[in-house]
Amino acid sequence: MKTYFRGAVAAIAVTAAVMTSNVVQAADTIKVGILHSLSGTMAISETTLKDVMLMLIEEQNKKGGVLGKKLEPVVVDPASNWPLFAEKARELIEVKKVDVVFGCWTSVSRKSVLPVFEELNSILFYPVQYEGEESQKNVFYTGAAPNQQAIPAVDYLAEAEGVKRWVLAGTDYVYPRTTNKILETYLKEQLGVAADDIMINYTPFGHSDWQTIVADIKKFGSAGKKTAVVSTINGDANVPFYKELANQGIKAEDIPVVAFSVGEEELAGLDTGPLVGHLAAWNYFMSADTPENADFIKKWKSFIKNDKRVTNDPMEAHYIGFNMWVKAAEIAGTTEADAVIDAITGVTVPNLTGGYSAMMPNHHITKPVLIGEIQANGQFETVSETPGLVPGDAWSDFLPGSKDLISDWRKPLACGNFNVKTGKCSGKGS
Amino acid sequence: MMTMKFIQGGFDRRAVVFLGLLFLIAAVVSFLNLAMEPGSTFHVSSYTVALIGKYLCYALLALSVDLVWGFCGVLSLGHAAFFALGGYAMGMYLMRQIGTRGVYGDPVLPDFMVFLNWKELPWFWYGFDQFWFAALMVLAVPGVLAFVFGWFAFRSRVTGVYLSIITQALTFALMLAFFRNDMGFGGNNGLTDFKDILGFDVQADSTRVGLLIASAVALAIGFIICKALVNSKFGKVLIAVRDAESRTRFLGYRPENYKLLVWTLSAMMAGVAGALYVPQVGIINPSEFTPANSIEAVIWVAVGGRGTLVGATIGAVLVNFGKTLFTGILPEFWLFALGGLFIAVTLFLPKGIMGAIDGYMAKRKAAKDSGPEAQPQEGD
Amino acid sequence: MARYLHSFVLFLALIWLIPGLAAPAHAADDDLRAKIDALASGGFSQTAKQIQDLAATGDDRVVPALQALLAGKLYFKKAGKQVFITEKASGGYALTDPLTGESAGTLARGALKKIRVNNRLRRELKAALGNLTLLSKVTAVRLKAAEAVFKSQDPDTLEALVSAISKETDDGVKKVLEQAHAAVLLKTDAAEADKIAALAVIEDRGDRDALSVVIATAAQAEGALKAAAEKTATSIRQNLELWGAAQNIWYGLSLGSVLLLAAIGLAITFGVMGVINMAHGEMVMIGAYVTFMVQEVIRTSMPGLFEYSLLISVPLAFLVAGAIGMAVERCIIRFLYGRPLETLLATWGLSLALQQAVRTIFGPSNREVGTPDYMSGAFELGHLTITYNRLWIIVFSLVVLFALMAVLKKTPLGLQMRAVTQNRRMAGAMGIRTNWVDAVTFGLGSGIAGIAGVALSQIDNVSPNLGQSYIIDSFMVVVFGGVGNLWGTLVGAMTLGVANKFLEPYAGAVLGKVLVLVFIILFIQKRPRGLFALKGRAIES
Repeated sequence: MKTYFRGAVAAIAVTAAVMTSNVVQAADTIKVGILHSLSGTMAISETTLKDVMLMLIEEQNKKGGVLGKKLEPVVVDPASNWPLFAEKARELIEVKKVDVVFGCWTSVSRKSVLPVFEELNSILFYPVQYEGEESQKNVFYTGAAPNQQAIPAVDYLAEAEGVKRWVLAGTDYVYPRTTNKILETYLKEQLGVAADDIMINYTPFGHSDWQTIVADIKKFGSAGKKTAVVSTINGDANVPFYKELANQGIKAEDIPVVAFSVGEEELAGLDTGPLVGHLAAWNYFMSADTPENADFIKKWKSFIKNDKRVTNDPMEAHYIGFNMWVKAAEIAGTTEADAVIDAITGVTVPNLTGGYSAMMPNHHITKPVLIGEIQANGQFETVSETPGLVPGDAWSDFLPGSKDLISDWRKPLACGNFNVKTGKCSGKGS
Repeated sequence: MMTMKFIQGGFDRRAVVFLGLLFLIAAVVSFLNLAMEPGSTFHVSSYTVALIGKYLCYALLALSVDLVWGFCGVLSLGHAAFFALGGYAMGMYLMRQIGTRGVYGDPVLPDFMVFLNWKELPWFWYGFDQFWFAALMVLAVPGVLAFVFGWFAFRSRVTGVYLSIITQALTFALMLAFFRNDMGFGGNNGLTDFKDILGFDVQADSTRVGLLIASAVALAIGFIICKALVNSKFGKVLIAVRDAESRTRFLGYRPENYKLLVWTLSAMMAGVAGALYVPQVGIINPSEFTPANSIEAVIWVAVGGRGTLVGATIGAVLVNFGKTLFTGILPEFWLFALGGLFIAVTLFLPKGIMGAIDGYMAKRKAAKDSGPEAQPQEGD
Repeated sequence: MARYLHSFVLFLALIWLIPGLAAPAHAADDDLRAKIDALASGGFSQTAKQIQDLAATGDDRVVPALQALLAGKLYFKKAGKQVFITEKASGGYALTDPLTGESAGTLARGALKKIRVNNRLRRELKAALGNLTLLSKVTAVRLKAAEAVFKSQDPDTLEALVSAISKETDDGVKKVLEQAHAAVLLKTDAAEADKIAALAVIEDRGDRDALSVVIATAAQAEGALKAAAEKTATSIRQNLELWGAAQNIWYGLSLGSVLLLAAIGLAITFGVMGVINMAHGEMVMIGAYVTFMVQEVIRTSMPGLFEYSLLISVPLAFLVAGAIGMAVERCIIRFLYGRPLETLLATWGLSLALQQAVRTIFGPSNREVGTPDYMSGAFELGHLTITYNRLWIIVFSLVVLFALMAVLKKTPLGLQMRAVTQNRRMAGAMGIRTNWVDAVTFGLGSGIAGIAGVALSQIDNVSPNLGQSYIIDSFMVVVFGGVGNLWGTLVGAMTLGVANKFLEPYAGAVLGKVLVLVFIILFIQKRPRGLFALKGRAIES
């Protein structure tokens, strides 16, 4: 019996030792946390982002690091498990003492870590296009908000292709739901589309049998009006979806599909021959013809030691976010969270498409919006680009709940959801 | 196989040690977290508190799985469903507590309903603003589901693998359903951004410690109930059902009733585990329903030792501690370690850690017994 | 475009009638070349105009240039803005003169710029090519042209269509031409009676495109024509409704065949051997990755074999997955016989490790598995759209199932397998090497899972997660059908597939699946041993 007890005490001691061991380490480096799933369902998209972060940190260290200190990446695997994201975020900040975290992909993972960043007052750079309706003091959204992706895409289709009938197809989760809500209002109110001419369809994650839905789209498209599909279908389900489209003979000239979640990485798993002409809206394409981009692609390929790897929009978002953080830290002269948060508003860094992106007071950034058509080589060819940069809008103007909300983290307002009608900062800021 | 010997012999002693240890951990961790300054070497970070709290919830889940699997032979691949339902019941209470502090400041509707443009609260959200109601639902929802499911399944004499697979179907169906935004449970994002529980801030250290202690107490109570149950005459019939269902039936017992009661009780325990889990990790979402989670819970039990209640809890803590450790230090390879562990345990420790220890002790006892100074032995 | 087309059609008709007069076209050579070279400058809307100009020449020598533009193979030299048709070659691009078809050397990629097209231009190009090739000598080209005209419904093609119809000798093409004519006629201001007659021609076609034309007509027309168009639309719709039901059955069978393929291997490892094989999905995934590897090798060293890549992959996938299966049986499973529930744990661990291994070796992202020509596209059977890949998968799944049945029923190996699984000790006593039979049986089940992977690579992601998405469905199929019975697996898979597809339109994809799962749960209450329960002593174990 005593042996049990002794064993148990020893086990606890070891546990405690392991958990606290990381605390006592010299602070001569600046630690950068990388919170991307390396296993589970999201590894497919997120592993690349981990790699790109490692590359950016390596590059920065070659340039001498930040504030005279080397950067040290700390990689953890939240394993596509949402509660684990929160736990790992806490581990990074509290135990590993990182100064900034780059991470998350899905909305739910971001939602899961938000309270942690707020409580421990650290910084998260979130690199993926998302549904908006959020602005948090500790989070910087370097991906696109709906107005930086969805709305320009719909405008393009309506103008250039004369689309009159719309299928809004998405995976059943919050990003497609919100985006489609916004688009529905926008189509009805701004483009005067009748309710009959909008079809909304949701499918589960990883949906693989698209026969019925593609047939439905075909059916919907045969009403004598030009029809297009706006797809917010999530990563994994896209390959079977496009395969079914190609096989059922839906050509881009007949019913173009514009997607917001299909980038170069997703196309790498597909024979794009039959998909030529389908569209995607992003803020970056690998085909962007600029020296910065050529340099970035070259570095990426040599870093990952694979000439066939592609670059995509979230990678560019991390590139922008990382550079913004470096610049802000240098302005603030410290990597302490509050100072960096104050310094980063207004910071402008070059993006990869030949312009500059600036951090807005609402913690979103300005970006160009590019509409590209899929080419037979798996790349996109830009067919339309917004004339200027589009600032990310945290609160959509096309949702009844958020019409009156604005976000401005500069003092004295310092509020993520300020209601201009009531003049109150709703939620936690009050 | 667990035999009567353990139940009559030193098993109670083991239980006392287990409960004592549980109390000790809860007390020490709470003290070190609250009383020590954050800079101190003895300070236990709130990260560790939350982590241990989570392990204790998993331990309770493992206990509930062990109760049905280890003592009544029902391998459930759907316990995650009960766990998650308990979690959702608690999550709904926590959502209602947010009140006007949500981003849209709506006093009644949770944020996700506001931005999906819902006008009023769905009927099944009524009552969840009251803690007592939510607490009741934590027990009632998994309990009723398990009762209905078990009533049909056990009466139809669905057994063995068939039962396992349909429990898996149950949790899979629930997962798909909860993923639907139209269901009104927040879809994939689930329920997050909790503010307070019973008026205490969920982010405060003291609340965390409180939840840790609550989890420890729940685990202790669950353990005592299980213990009492399996040591009673009822428990003996259960084991008879497990080992030879037909014979038990021929002796005049109604195995389905025994199974049903234990099954329902186990589901309610899983529900409580889920309810305590949610405020500590801060999110509940449909992926808690994945069949993989259920399988993992079964694996904890197998690692610790099926049919040894203490073993189940130890298995849960050890496997999860390994996960925490390896996802941090071996992010690229931890799945190999975990997968290898499962294979190794099934091959080399067929009765789990506790079973192996029992086997070792039995051997030592045999050696001692044969020696000149044979002593009375407690069986461990 | 419109203005020029009359003269163009007349011109073309003349050439057709008097072949001797084709010569004057050469005079316009320089003019044509200038028009083609013009493509090198300007944005999309200018390009559209230039395409119309080219089409308006009516000269079928512009066809290769337009086709190349459509295929994205038309480039221009950055210096001099001369336009060429290009083909990838070593050291850059091989250039071909767009008019004469003569080779014009090779140039580095950097010296060339692609002429970009978008969807609007593609439509423009297809219409232009349709008009230009209506009188082609090749039947298939004429058919395609006629379909293109049907789709573009350009009112100015009316006369061209009339003359084309009068000359057409092939009945199939003629029919489409007449339908195209009718569709175009509805767009013009022809007499109401003619239009109503045209509606009948369209109704005869009866597909979605026809419906689209009729609805568009109904929306614009008035009086008798509107009534007629609406009547036609209703009739086409009713007809399509019926076909839709048949199409749904097809979809269901096709989904069922995918489930069947995924489940057959499990029917052996789980159904026959009683191993709760959670690593089954990973065997499927390995099969898919074998296909990927085979295609990679073919792509780099023997591009000619691409069409046969799947045929080559099938035996290889079987061998690789089978070998892994046998190794797994020898190293892990054989220690666990008689403890089925524990096989679940070990194979679960195995599946985690295999997934991560594939992730480490091949990377986490999707891999591209190409589709051979005979598996892409679709054909119409009545108004059923039957895609080739689905058709082949149905055929393939049945072939695999019946081959497996034959192995189990007709070969000595099958006999031994059945003997061992029914009564291991007795079989051993009869001199059967039970160990060896176990290994082979597990290998067979895994190998078949590998084969399924080859087929699934054609319709789903080839990623480390591939197996996970099929494992639960596979178990459902086997349990629903009845463990240990291959007929049960067949009927189970097809029933679930069809049920799913019939629920989908009413309940949506998610709820449909939930309902199917609930149905399985309830069904098992009714028949606790599945659809085709094994009778006899085996069930009590």
